Order: sequence, then structure tokens, then C-alpha cells
Amino acid sequence: MHAIDSILLAIVASTPLLLAVEGELVVQRSGIINLGIEGMMLAAAMTATLTHSLWGGILGAAAMAALFGFFAIVLKADQIVTGTAINLLALGLTGFVYREMQEAFARPLPHVDRDLIVPAAWIVLPIALAALLWRTMFGLRLRACGENPDVIGRQVPFYRWSALAIEAVLVGVAGSHLALVLSSGFAENMTAGRGFIALSIVIFGRWKLKGALLGTAVFGLAAAGQYALQAASIGLPFHLLLAVPYVVTLLILCGITGRVRAPEALGRP
Amino acid sequence: MRRLLVGAVAAIGAIAVLTIGGAAFGHSPSELLRILIAGSIGSPFALEGTIVKSIPLLLTGLSVAIAFRAGVWNIGAEGQFIVGAIAGFLAARFGLAAALLASIVAGAAWASIASLMRFWRNAPEVLTTILLNFVGFHLLGYAVNGPLQESSKQYPQSDAIPPAAALPAIDGVHAGIAIAVLLAIAAWILLYRTDEGLRLRATGFNASAAMWAGVNVNAQIARAMAISGGLAGLAGGIELLGVTHRLFERFAAGYGYSGIAVALLAQLHPLATLLSAFFFGALASGAGELQRSAGISSSIATLGQAIVILTVIGFGAFRARD
Repeated sequence: MHAIDSILLAIVASTPLLLAVEGELVVQRSGIINLGIEGMMLAAAMTATLTHSLWGGILGAAAMAALFGFFAIVLKADQIVTGTAINLLALGLTGFVYREMQEAFARPLPHVDRDLIVPAAWIVLPIALAALLWRTMFGLRLRACGENPDVIGRQVPFYRWSALAIEAVLVGVAGSHLALVLSSGFAENMTAGRGFIALSIVIFGRWKLKGALLGTAVFGLAAAGQYALQAASIGLPFHLLLAVPYVVTLLILCGITGRVRAPEALGRP
Repeated sequence: MRRLLVGAVAAIGAIAVLTIGGAAFGHSPSELLRILIAGSIGSPFALEGTIVKSIPLLLTGLSVAIAFRAGVWNIGAEGQFIVGAIAGFLAARFGLAAALLASIVAGAAWASIASLMRFWRNAPEVLTTILLNFVGFHLLGYAVNGPLQESSKQYPQSDAIPPAAALPAIDGVHAGIAIAVLLAIAAWILLYRTDEGLRLRATGFNASAAMWAGVNVNAQIARAMAISGGLAGLAGGIELLGVTHRLFERFAAGYGYSGIAVALLAQLHPLATLLSAFFFGALASGAGELQRSAGISSSIATLGQAIVILTVIGFGAFRARD
């Protein structure tokens, strides 16, 4: 395979990851760590497969986001614990439904002619989200909720819910793209840690969209390198190659140089 | 008292949601409940299964409770469980004690990778521990398909450990239960009756205040992480030496992640973990019976864990520390 082809393939394959990174960047800017993003994506992959639609996927992610928001924003529960619970919930629920509705999952998927999600995720969304966060009053206030929520006062929940809604849409699309375009439908635990990789890339990218694009691209190319190694069969065992994306992510997390400044109020209810 | 009440409501609530929710998919709630009970505590055989399942849950629950008490987000019990089992397998030829010790050391070492990354590179342990779970999972996959595959090379599993290294069993329940219960008591003494425990809890309660009071916070965090990892590693070792006697790809079966639910239902209290581990052991056994006899996915056990955690935090029993 030519180098250009493999780079293009890497970009397409890491599109769900990029969408998740973008969504998580927005919520973290509002002061929330949503570890439940993995579960949101998994739920979206399932509902997208059941409904054969992007909207179905968004609905699945939104349901998980609503639950997360209820506990993390309304009840001010610990965000990491809430996120972990959402992940277990999505894992258990999708595993249960998958077995209950096997026929519905087995229906053939519609053919996707033109994949508009890839250019949207890589070109349109970074520009649009950067403009929203740094060029509008809404964005300024949303970021203030992540830095110094006392300034915003009683409206903090509004901005955090808005950020969560944006994340739900993006992660919903991510899960749908993963299930309907990149895979042939839902499979149990198919997100395989993409949500956690996305969180790592948000940190690597220092909570900036440029960093998010760069981080995802680095990760995507490293993952593509893994496939190239597999194809070249240079003797590295297949199962060790499967661990490569996670090792790369650990290295990415450790490769953050200089001072990393997280949003000041990140994780505080 | 209130904590006990919250725990009871969460446990009963989860069973209620699961059984009533089953009606939406055409299952009779009373039938579901009957199978859940029959498969977990309804017969001496089922009870044995429940107790055997609650042994690793007790240990991973203690692992998570100690880490969370110190304010350390060790979500990596699953990976520590796996490397603990691999190390236990490798050391089993030297006997039972060596195998148990190796699993503790391996779990602690695996968890300490996250500590090192936190101190050297500022990488948050909540992510590094999770990522290490995936690495551990694939490492096991490699081991049982490669260097540790059984001599007949038929299935992706290891040979059985030497019989001399297996944990002795009475009436189907292996001796791991004694180790686990003793460690629950030891964890309680550690947390509430020693200076180390006081410093550990102070670190988790308010790290900067603990620092001003003279606690070496980083060292405290590193020790809590190592203890936590050691317990999860031991859980893996005991599961290998007491139950499976072999390694295979799906060896961990979620025991590590379940530890989070066990610890939270116990509201991070080591002695309450005894009850909590028994409950989730029963839920796992009951769910297994549902899968066998009614064709319902056993992943409802995971669903039950999520409902329990959400109920517990919904009552504000585990509010974020500001």
C-alpha cells in the first residue's frame, strides 16, 4: 500500500476518536471531566446500529450524558465515580440488549455513499468549535465555568449542560461512525478504550483544538503503523501489536513537555 | 447507621430495577428474581459459587477502597489482577507461597507504573491505570497464545499449575477466603488503627492540609497505590491458584472493575466490603444462572453494579472533595 493511502486510512479510522476528543475538550473547558465518554460512545454505537441512523446514535449518547449530568451537575456527585458508573452502565446495558434483540442487530446495514463526517470532524468542527469557544460571549462564559465558576455564579449549570449537550452530539456521531461506517454494526465493548484515549489526547493537546488535531493525528499514524507492522509480518506477535495503541497513548500522556495547565476548576462540582 | 441504610437501599434498588426492567423485554420479574436467588443463595451448591466469586471481589474491593481513601484514582485493578495472575503462574513451580508473593509484587509494580508516570510526567493516574488495563489484557492474550500456551498447543490457555501450588479447598471453597477475610480486617486496622492509615486518610481527605501537617504526600500516594495494586494482584493470583488453575484470555472477567462497585457499596469501609463483596458475588452467580437457564446476558451483573454506584452517590454518600 502507498504511503498516502495509509495516511488517508489512518485519518478516516481515527475520525470517531477525533470527534470524542473535540467533545471532551468542550466539557473539560466548562470544568467537567467526563470519564463516561467511553460509555456514551458505546451506547451510541448500539442505538445507531439499532436505528440505522446518526440521530439514533446521538440519542443514545445523549441519554448517557443526561444521566451523567444529573449526577455530576445537579447532585454534584464526584465526576470520576459518576463517569465510571456510566461506563459500567453502558457496558452492562448494551451487553444485555445485544443478546435480547439479536435479530434487530443482524439486519444488513445501509451502504454509506459519501462519508461527510470525516471532513466535518477534521476541518469544519475544529474551526467552528474554536470560534465558538474563543470568539463568542457564550464560549467565554463556558470557559469561565472551567476556570473560575464563581464569576458565572448561578448560571454555571446552564453552561455545563450546554457543553455536555455539545459533547453528546459529537460523541453520538462518533459512535455512529464507528459502528455504521468503520465496522459492520455493533459488537460488545467495541469502543475498546477510545474514550479514555480521547481524554488523554485532550490533555496532550493542552485543552486546545490545534493540540487535539495534532494529538489525534499522531495517535492515528501510530495506530496505522501498527497495521503496517502486522501486514509486514516482521515477527512481532499479533497480540502484542494489539497493545500498541494503549502504549502509544501512555507515551503521549508522558510526553507532555513543559507546564501543563488544566482548566483551574476542572473536576470541581 | 445511615451508611448501612444507603447500602441496603442501593442493593435492593439494583435488584428491583433489574427484575422490573426485565419486563420491558418480556421477562417475568418474579421469575427473574426466583432464578437470581436460586442461582446465588438458593442451594448449598449455588452458595458455594457465590462465596468463590466473592473472594476476588473482596480483594479488588479492598484494593479500590484503600486507593480511593488516599484520594488516588486507581481504576486499574483489572490490569493489576491480570499481571498478578501471570506472575503467580510463573512462580507457581516454586510453590504456593512463592506464587502468592509474586502476584502481590507484580500487582504492586504494575500499579506503581502509574505512580511513576504521575510523579515524573504529571500524567493523571485515573487515565494511566485504565490504559494499563488494556495493556495487561493484551499481554495476557499474548502470553496464552505464545510463550505460556499449553504444551498441547490446542487452546489459547496455559497449562494447569502444579497441584502442589493450588490453594487447598474445603467443600468447594478454597483457602483464599481466609486470606481475603484476614486482609479485610488488616485493612481496617491499617486505615483506622495506625499512623500510616491516619496519614493515608488525611492525604485523601485534603492533600494540601496533610502536606502542611507534615505528611510526605507523594510518598503516601505511592504507598497507597502500591498497597492497592498488591491487593488486586493477589486477587488475580488467588483466582488462579484457587479456582481456574490456568490462565486464559478472559481470565479477569471484570473482577477488577467490579472492585469499584464493591468498594463504593461498602462506602470505602474495609469491613463493610465483606458484605458488599458477598452481595456482588451473589449477583454475579445469579446472573450466570440467568444466562444458563433463561438465555439472558450475564452482563446484567455489570448493569447492577452501575445502578448500585449511582444510587450510593445519588444519596451523597460519596460526594466530591473540593
